Amino acid sequence: MTLSSTGPAARNRTSAPAGNGSDGNHSSVVLGPRDRLVGLLYVEGDLRVVGTVEGELEVTGSVEIDDGGRVTGPVTAHDRLVVGRAGSLKGDVRVARLVVQDGATFIGNVSMGKAALDAPPKPVEAVKPVEAVKPAKAVEPVEAAKLQEAVTTPEPVKAVQPVKPVPPIQATKQADRKTQPPDRKRR
Amino acid sequence: MDVQEAVAESSHVASADDNGDGKRDGQRKFTMGPNDVLEGKLVYDGHVHVDGRAEGEFRVTGNLDVASGATAKILIEAANVTVKGVVEGSVAARDKLTLGKNARLSGDIVVRRLQIDDGASLNGHVRMGDFEQHGSGG
Repeated sequence: MTLSSTGPAARNRTSAPAGNGSDGNHSSVVLGPRDRLVGLLYVEGDLRVVGTVEGELEVTGSVEIDDGGRVTGPVTAHDRLVVGRAGSLKGDVRVARLVVQDGATFIGNVSMGKAALDAPPKPVEAVKPVEAVKPAKAVEPVEAAKLQEAVTTPEPVKAVQPVKPVPPIQATKQADRKTQPPDRKRR
Repeated sequence: MDVQEAVAESSHVASADDNGDGKRDGQRKFTMGPNDVLEGKLVYDGHVHVDGRAEGEFRVTGNLDVASGATAKILIEAANVTVKGVVEGSVAARDKLTLGKNARLSGDIVVRRLQIDDGASLNGHVRMGDFEQHGSGG
């Protein structure tokens, strides 16, 4: 799932009671305590996470994770990332400024500075992995076709066995010997 | 446990026992001055204040703090670590690591608690929770 605050859908996604809104190009998004996001969120503005996020966050402004907010996934904040004393973040971080309050939980790599922020691409790249999943499905039928071929190939091996016609020659000799006496008896 | 290995190039490096700074929490304190240089491995039973320039490996039973203006290329293991200067190397804080607003830390850290003040710089991997000591004991 990909959300962008520039579209109206992004604002509708968050059911937080207050704090969400847009002031021109600057959005303020709040994921409330009962909100849950699984996927990717790009915000041109600020983001406050009090709920649960499993995925990737990229924010042009600041990100604040606090009051029970939990984020699992990479976070990019072009301004500041604050992990409050009641916040939890497990993921790699690329930020200009970082504040971790005593009591917060944080596990991940930290890259700070302009160089770290300039290198990464925007959510456009997040679309590519979705496309990359499709060819993975196409691989499955190919494997299935190989299985069908594998099933058909043993059959010609059995067809090679016609060499067996040789023993029937011996069998016929025996059969002749065996069959002759009864015929004579019958006759 | 006492200072087992240390190579110091300084006339100011002194422990609290010698210079009368007084014990902190009943523990001795090893204090470096802004012009001091310490290169090597230091295992110290007490607190350590790092200033000037330090290179090597510091294992401390108490707290270790790196002063503003100090430059350290060291592996740190201590109960509480406070960085206000520049540190390049891994840090293991058995309890808490604090990065002051002017701190610059490049290296991996293992901590139980972490506090990073606004303005501090950190590049490295952070792991919180169960504390594991670094390989060589010293």
